[in-house]
Parts: sequence; structure tokens; C-alpha cells
Amino acid sequence: MKPLDTHTIETMLAAQGIPLALGRAEKLAPGVNALNVPDPLRAALPFEIDATSYLGSVRKVQPK
Amino acid sequence: MSGLTLEEARRRIERWQPRINAFVSTEPRSKGSGGPLAGKVLAHKDMFYRRGRVSNCGSRIRKAWMAAETAAVLERLDAAGALDIGTLNMSEFAYGPTGHNDHWGDCCNPWNPEYITGGSSSGSGAAVAAGLVVAALGSDTGGSVRLPASACGVTGLKTTWGRVSRHGAMPLSHSLDTIGPLARSAEDCALIYGVIAGRDPRDPVTAHAPGDAPVDAPLRSIALSSRWIRENAHAEVADAVLAAARAFQTVEVEPPPFDLLSAHCLTVMQAEASAQHAQWMRERPQDYSSAVRARLEAGFAIPAPQYLEALRLRGAWLERFCNETLAKADAYLVPTIAVPLPTREQTGPRGGPDMPRLLGEVTRLTRWVNYLGVPALSLPCGFDLRGLPIGLQLVARPFAEATLLSAGRAFQRATDWHRREPKW
Repeated sequence: MKPLDTHTIETMLAAQGIPLALGRAEKLAPGVNALNVPDPLRAALPFEIDATSYLGSVRKVQPK
Repeated sequence: MSGLTLEEARRRIERWQPRINAFVSTEPRSKGSGGPLAGKVLAHKDMFYRRGRVSNCGSRIRKAWMAAETAAVLERLDAAGALDIGTLNMSEFAYGPTGHNDHWGDCCNPWNPEYITGGSSSGSGAAVAAGLVVAALGSDTGGSVRLPASACGVTGLKTTWGRVSRHGAMPLSHSLDTIGPLARSAEDCALIYGVIAGRDPRDPVTAHAPGDAPVDAPLRSIALSSRWIRENAHAEVADAVLAAARAFQTVEVEPPPFDLLSAHCLTVMQAEASAQHAQWMRERPQDYSSAVRARLEAGFAIPAPQYLEALRLRGAWLERFCNETLAKADAYLVPTIAVPLPTREQTGPRGGPDMPRLLGEVTRLTRWVNYLGVPALSLPCGFDLRGLPIGLQLVARPFAEATLLSAGRAFQRATDWHRREPKW
């Protein structure tokens, strides 16, 4: 994903009813964009995996 | 566990409270009776609800809010006979890593009140360190048990996600929230953990926990990334942690990608916390501190697919950690906080442009553990030249708390860092 610019951040928050002071989006942008990181496991992740698949992984690796 | 009496605790609180501001309320909340914790003097972070009593959650928004039911963990401690002598300071809505609080006053480090306690379970770390209680519950969503444990020189257990019921505890991020004890020693943490752990139908996540704690088997070895620690931790921290590692049989491994996993953790935490607080953020944003409001604002700018993709990747990273990092070891050893503790001023509202970097350094090694959902035990392992505590953490497979507590007990039989107390 591309980094979010300040106008996009302002629009996203406004659409959700969150008031944002003037200049706040500029301060938020670096932190928000720092979370959008490339992950080496992403490409190999099977299509069928979803957020609940984590519980299956827990069962696989917990002490027997 | 120490035989601290109620009268002695009250005398100590009177002496220490003006210096460290660990307590929010000192009104007794349960009387205690017979049981494995009979008469043990405890107090807990001000976010565990008790029917008919106030839980402020470190906030203005919930100031004087009265709970309609009692947290599962408090029910269990009550049934075990523990005394609950009050509520402890915390970061606002458990959403801050330092112990600052604009509404209830900062909690201060008992070793030197100019320095942070770590957060968000700031009062729990400070009260145990100062000997005001023998143990306290905290919550850990991104490091909130381990950071104050390390900064205050006590032992703290971050439990596996789903090991301890969160029913009746203030939520922050449902995929990451956990509850655990802070106490002087691993032995004391084990006593509290043994009481609070277990399934609870009111928190469906606990349904996936094994029925019984795993057998307390002898340790194989501890995995360690010495070179990474030498190159990334402050020299005093690296020296203390690597010296402590010599108490174990160790095996060198490549470090997990802390920063990547930490970014995923923050993605999940911020998206979920902002959803949890959405109504108040729309209706009364002025009632949050500027720091917490800024964190909550950021969560509204995280796209839903980015949040869900972080959760899709979570299982794969957990399997990699267990199958590769822990392939030949029972736990992974790393500093809890890799840098010297900053002051409250450096990391507070007047902290200046360097503050985000400092906060990032303080939390760098805790959030990845919450993303994986695994347990970790923070143990005191030394002091820096300023006389402030240094901590290490042991991180294990899901539901391997017994392994961690066993390793912690062994370490603390051979060392006395956990017995040192701040003087005042």
C-alpha cells in the first residue's frame, strides 16, 4: 500500500465523525505510515488463512 | 510470599504515597479469608471492576464510574482469601507505556521519582517495589506488565492470550489484552497465577486454553541473540542481561524481527483501541489527555485490510517463532527495556521532538510478544550506574507459563536482584 497523505488522513477521520484539529494530520501521518510495512511472509500466505487461523497455530505449537 | 500485615502496609503507604503516587484509592475492597492467599495484602490496577465500587481506569471519562459486576480475576483472588486494599494508578485507559497520567497525577519510580515507572500498570510496579503490597494485578497489551516490572525492579508475568479471563476487566485491544501478576519474585507470581488462570465461559478466548497448567519440567536451554543485544541494547543493559544469561544453558539463535512484529502489534492495537473508544472520541474527545487522544486518532487512519492482514499473518509468525527460535530451547531471553530509563520530563507533555523516539526505544522489545500472543516473564537482573533497575524477559510457547516460572525461580535462587528494595 502507498503511504497515506495528510489530506487522506483528514478525510478518513472526518468520514468516521472524528474531529481533527488543524495540522494534526501532518503529525499523525509519519506514525500511521510507519505501520504499513512489507512482510516477507505475506506472499506465501495461503489464500484460505484468515484472522481466526491463529488459534489453529496456537494449538500446533503449544506444549503437549 | 512476604508476611506484610495490613497495619504495616498502611504505614508504608502513608510514607510512600506522597513520593510515588501509586494508589488511587486506599479504601479496602475485600476482607480476605481462608485459602491459599489468606491474609495476603494485594491491590490492583484501577481497571478491574468490582460490583458497586468505582473503577476510574486512569481516566476523566470514567471518573467515579461504578461497576455492575466483579472481574473474574478478583472473584478468584477473593475466593483464595486475598485482601484487596485499594486501587492502583495506571496510564489513562491503559494506553501509555510510561506511567504519566494527566488526570490522576504521574506515578513515580520508587528508585528515583524523577524517572518513569513504565506503564501502563504503573501503580502495580511502584507499589510492589516499595513494599506497599506483596503483589498486584496488571494488564499487558503491548508491555504493560513487563515495562513497569523492569523499570521498578520487580517480577512480572505476561500471560498467554486466553490463559486468564478478562471478564470484568477494562478492554483496550481484544486480540492482545492479557492479565498477569507483578510481585517481588517468580515464586510469588506463580502463587497469584495459579489462582487466576483457567477457563471462564464469560471470556470465550479462554476456552482454547489447555485444561491444566503444563508439568513443571526441567529446562532444556534458553535461546539468546547475544550479538543483537550487544549491537542494539545500551552497554549497561547488555552487560547486565548477558551476565544474567550465564545462569542458564544457552543456545545462540537469530533474533525474531522485533520491529516488524511490533509494527503489526501496533496496527492491531491502534485499530481495536480506536474502535473501542469510537463513541467517546466522537462525543467528548476533549476529555482525553492529548497523548491518548493522539494515539486514538491514529487508529482511525488504519485501513481495515491492513488491520486484518496483520491478524492473518499472526499465526505464521507464531509458528516461525516456536519452530525456529525455540527449536532447541524452552524460552527466548532478551532485555525487557533495551535503553536506560528516561525521565518523566523527557517523556511527558513537555518532552519535545525527541519523545516519540524515546517511547519507541522503551517499548521496542515488548510489543512483539503481544503480537505472537505468547507468555513472558520479566525478571530484575541488575542496576545501571544511576541506581535504576534493569530487567530481562524470558519468552516461551503459548501456555508455557509453568516453564517460565520454573526458569524464573531457578534464576532467583541463584541471584538476589529481586530482593533489593528502594530506600525512603
